[in-house]
Amino acid sequence: MFKNIFKCTAIAATVVFMMSVSSAADEVPIEGNVASKCVIYPTTAGVYGNPLPDTLTTDVSDGGKPPIIRFDVVNANSYKAVITTPITFSSSPSLNDTLAWTGSVEVDQVTDSNMSSYDSNKRVFNNITEFDLTVAGTVWFKANSTVTYGYNKSLPGGNYKSIVVAECIAL
Amino acid sequence: MENSYVDDVLQVSMELFNKRDDVEHYQIDVFDKEWKPVPFAIQSRLIEVKYLESKKIIVYIRKTDRYRVTYICSSSKIKRKNETTALVVSRICSKIK
Repeated sequence: MFKNIFKCTAIAATVVFMMSVSSAADEVPIEGNVASKCVIYPTTAGVYGNPLPDTLTTDVSDGGKPPIIRFDVVNANSYKAVITTPITFSSSPSLNDTLAWTGSVEVDQVTDSNMSSYDSNKRVFNNITEFDLTVAGTVWFKANSTVTYGYNKSLPGGNYKSIVVAECIAL
Repeated sequence: MENSYVDDVLQVSMELFNKRDDVEHYQIDVFDKEWKPVPFAIQSRLIEVKYLESKKIIVYIRKTDRYRVTYICSSSKIKRKNETTALVVSRICSKIK
């Protein structure tokens, strides 16, 4: 009987010990860093040409230069490029008439021939153009912008600046 | 996201690398899946990162917002210049899954 009591006590102690071990939880933190695998930088600054008194344009034939933006993507099908052409001046002389803006974005150069479908598959709404970056590598986008002031009205002299927004959004 | 030293506040660390030689300041923003701003705290909203430098940034988010947070974005900030130019603002958004 003493043996049985000892056996039961041993089993009970084992069970208690096991229960104690399973109920003593330890928190092990998992650390993680968010590091974007998409890099954007403009390789060519844009310049407005002034071919007519009421017009500013980035068209090369009119003395302008469209900004070119480079996107480097490490992982395919992980990002989309969203480029917004301007619809206002960020700074300009005082203007008292309407401005008519037009803009477009197109692929300028690619490092992988599989990117040739970017232009045909792009989505355009208002002044925003979206490209799905389905291939890893580098692509250069060219943003065109033209603005006309009033109706045959000359733009006042001074500095004019507008902003193109280039975004790389994780999917 | 991991627990921070403050109760009910989580933290996310991100590394910001500046590959633009015309920009030295970036702004951090946090958005939900519908691109609505999510409140957050950071040491400095405007971060200075020199060309080809990288900086580790910690973003603090309320625990109640942990399931709302979807995007953490860094946007370049451009200084005024006296040129007739079309400037480029770049914004890169990472997604928290």
